[in-house]
Amino acid sequence: MEIKVMKNILGENDRIAAENQALFKEKNVYVINLMGSPGAGKTSVLEKTMERLKDKVNMAVIEGDLFTSKDAERIEKHGVPVIQINTAGGCHLDAAMIQQTAPQLDLDKLDLLVVENVGNLVCPAEFAVGEDEKGVVLSITEGDDKPMKYPLIFKESAIALLNKVDLVPFCNFDLKSAEEDIDTLHPGMKVIEVSCTKDQGVDAWCDWLLLRVRAKQGK
Amino acid sequence: MCKECGCGQTNGNTRLQFLVKGYTEELSKAVEKTLLGLPGVLYVHIHWHEGETTVDYNPSKTKLTDILKVFTDRQLEAAL
Repeated sequence: MEIKVMKNILGENDRIAAENQALFKEKNVYVINLMGSPGAGKTSVLEKTMERLKDKVNMAVIEGDLFTSKDAERIEKHGVPVIQINTAGGCHLDAAMIQQTAPQLDLDKLDLLVVENVGNLVCPAEFAVGEDEKGVVLSITEGDDKPMKYPLIFKESAIALLNKVDLVPFCNFDLKSAEEDIDTLHPGMKVIEVSCTKDQGVDAWCDWLLLRVRAKQGK
Repeated sequence: MCKECGCGQTNGNTRLQFLVKGYTEELSKAVEKTLLGLPGVLYVHIHWHEGETTVDYNPSKTKLTDILKVFTDRQLEAAL
């Protein structure tokens, strides 16, 4: 009887992610994989990021979405190169998708590549895409219990943006508790309170990002 | 994790249950916090009266000895 050996899907993904990482290293491009639930505000954070950074660094965006190009259209308005990946129902981006897509960008001229993952607090954290670091956006309206309920994404991320903090007075969200839980799961992790609508915390986030970009370039 | 929706194989995690002697409520909270801060530890649940301690962790990221050290550092006796 023939025994079929299942391919290690995650092992294969890790191999391709390592190839992507080597390419980005060769080109001195800092890559961040931005994750979070649908509606957390990933694209809004990105829009604010582009407003602040597009004249300071050469940046591009890879947009992950199930079916539409709505987010990519928002990015394009800022004059930043953007590539849309439609996963056709797939719940996360993987390394192979980035490998096929990245060569369409002029990597020699790029400093920063933001990969906005599919809106999902679970699966994207499992799949490396070749990024330098992951970041997670959690919005106040999602509830302060989310870090403990979805621990992996907080373990894997280098930074957490608590978005929509202007809504704290109207929501049953305990900021202190959420931040303590994040620190429990990932001691010392950088956490920034952000409000895209009130322009709060955006400078701190962009400063953090800019430091990473400069460090990658050895500056 | 991802296996829930079928897009990955497993998350590589293992769930172990320890019986721990010597807990106080305060100690159990400290143990829970320290365990959750270890790489690959995704879930910890402690019944401190009975000493029942459940840990869901990824053995490729944290060794069993690292988990046991959390107990022994606090003079707690843990058995699988």
